[in-house]
Amino acid sequence: MASQSKANILARHAANAALNIPLPAIAMRGARDLGADEPFYPLDERIIAGAADAMESGQTHYVDVPGIPPLREAIAEHLNADSGTSWGSANILVTAGMQEARFLTTQIIGAQYASIAVPAVAHPGLRKALGLKRREVLSLPDEPERGFLPTLEGIAAALENGCRLLYLESPSRLSGAVYSASQVARIADLLAQHDAAAIWDAGLARWVADGCSSLAAQAQESVAVIGEAWHGSGLGAWLVGAIAAPTDWIAPMQSQKQIMAICTSTASQYAALAASEIIGETQQQRLAQMHAQRAAAVVLAGELGLDILPGAAENLLALRLDASGRGKLAEAGIDFAAGEDFGAPDTIRLNIGAATIAALETLA
Amino acid sequence: MSKKKPAAGTNLLYQLIAEARSYDDVIVMGRGDPDFDTPAHIVAAAKQAMIHHQADVPPAAGLPALREAIADRVKRVNNIDVDPASEVVVTNGGQEALFLMVLAALGEGDEMIVPEPNYNTYADSLAFVGGVKVAVQTAHEANFRADPADVRAAISDKTRALLLVSPNNPAANVISPADMRVLVDIAIEHDLMILADDIYDLFVYDDFVHTSPASLPGGKERSLTLNALSKSYSMTGWRLGWIVGPADLMARVVALKAAISGGTSIIAQHAGIAALTGPQDAVEMMAAAYARRRRLVLDALDEMGMDYGLPQGGQFVFANIAFTGMDSAEVAQRILSEQHVLAYPGSAFSKERKDYLRMTFLQPEAQLVEGLRRMKLAMANLS
Repeated sequence: MASQSKANILARHAANAALNIPLPAIAMRGARDLGADEPFYPLDERIIAGAADAMESGQTHYVDVPGIPPLREAIAEHLNADSGTSWGSANILVTAGMQEARFLTTQIIGAQYASIAVPAVAHPGLRKALGLKRREVLSLPDEPERGFLPTLEGIAAALENGCRLLYLESPSRLSGAVYSASQVARIADLLAQHDAAAIWDAGLARWVADGCSSLAAQAQESVAVIGEAWHGSGLGAWLVGAIAAPTDWIAPMQSQKQIMAICTSTASQYAALAASEIIGETQQQRLAQMHAQRAAAVVLAGELGLDILPGAAENLLALRLDASGRGKLAEAGIDFAAGEDFGAPDTIRLNIGAATIAALETLA
Repeated sequence: MSKKKPAAGTNLLYQLIAEARSYDDVIVMGRGDPDFDTPAHIVAAAKQAMIHHQADVPPAAGLPALREAIADRVKRVNNIDVDPASEVVVTNGGQEALFLMVLAALGEGDEMIVPEPNYNTYADSLAFVGGVKVAVQTAHEANFRADPADVRAAISDKTRALLLVSPNNPAANVISPADMRVLVDIAIEHDLMILADDIYDLFVYDDFVHTSPASLPGGKERSLTLNALSKSYSMTGWRLGWIVGPADLMARVVALKAAISGGTSIIAQHAGIAALTGPQDAVEMMAAAYARRRRLVLDALDEMGMDYGLPQGGQFVFANIAFTGMDSAEVAQRILSEQHVLAYPGSAFSKERKDYLRMTFLQPEAQLVEGLRRMKLAMANLS
């Protein structure tokens, strides 16, 4: 006999459009996979040794819910060095990847506020995370010609209309566009003026050659920073992310983390810890390589008459592309991230790598 | 932002764990973390995967090879037939599986029947979705058996699901095959979903028999069944579990999984393949050790004159401390502070269980003996 209860459950979930939004792959599955969230780099043997040594020495048991202390410390130190914050390890919660960080911040910090204002164009994981519970979500207007970053006017209007929690990406997960130092200062002023708070996705900040201003540096008591640990270190599929936030926000998120996972995989945490110690060695070299590859891709795209979206993150390139162009990429077996999943139809995102030029050549 | 409240439930347990860490000579009989390290062949396989499978990127549902291994396992151990492609989802441990099952099956105002005492995270997860726990009380005198008649009596027009954890945590009751048959029939009759937690299915003692509700006629199409490698392979830190269930529901489970965490650590998944497809002698060794330790703990409790429900499965005993006249949180605190032994207060599992303690057998025998000796001293002081 058919179950009405099950039918009702299925109907309830089907009505939740957010659950059906596709996500990009966590990491590149091959050279022609240019749609994934993270580039692929072979793991440094020291990262493998860090994880393997920990497992072989019996670090196979539950660890603290917020993460192993040395990794929390390393994350705090990296954030402070990169963005001028003053986080301590008590401000850090290690998560099972970036999506868990999105979920915990939007659901748990979000629960403290009547509404949340989010970019109209953002990583699809944001809408998925928000979609799990009914709450008022306001869409911040953006400017496509500025890489889909929400406008300062739109942010100010949302705050003036009573919204007290923002979610912002800088760099944008679609275009790589970033807020300038003066824009970040203005957003910090707006937060202070309205006693508001923000969740700040800075996961791609390490791919901005000239550095990336952090909202937390100017408003640390009212900002939660989220990101991968560490984007582009080869650990994408190991799923380690982090939240840096004031301790009174960490506490309820830690409780929820306990409820939904107890802790983040120890092997992944020890690998991320080992990566934290060597990440600086490869950063400049990879950034320079990506810069050269991206610059060449931009030139070629220009020659092809493609409409490139502005972006400062060297790891990706976003451009307008119609169905015919997408068809050519698909025929060539090249994966890309579809802009409509981010909220920007007719746009695609390509990872920067050895195959990016080849991908663009198929469009000639 | 958050108001300070006295520690309760899971927070109370974490407060005790934090204090326990401050004692060099502490004996932990609280947390459900086996003292055995993960078997060496699993660690070795994980290391090989770190070297040779760096480019693997699993879909949110998990690596196909792991889902195959899980399908084989649930067929072999639980007699549940599942399609690995559409009826298995890999999770970040049993805990994420638990959260996902509740998220998938229940919504605001929906009631779930929960035989009590039960693992506290079910109540926490239910609270997240705005669901309502309807407790069915059990007694240690009846070894915490949930009487199907009581379950039937608790059903209302808002009941949507029935939670069946067997062996139960913390009460260690195993639902008999006959009771399980009746409970599945009740679920069919009232069109309830079954959330089944089989995480301790390999640890069943004496002549007790574990039965998965999804293995019974009419059970599979309405059951979501979780399990994990944490307890059976001593892999608590890796965070690897799974849910199996009917394909239509599992499609929603994987969508929810994508929304809350996106995936499961690739290296934990390779370790999981090694665990499920490799030699099983370590599991047998651990099961035998727990059986010996269980006897040792029960003998000590008998000596202390404490009542308990016979642990028919699992890795712990739920003992009655009503004779102390004190709340279990206070008793656990005093045992910890005075004797440096960590046991979990029953009140952390259910507010009706303030006169129970949960004690695990997850320490080497010499430590258990010492822990029980100290417990005896503490109890003598309390009574």
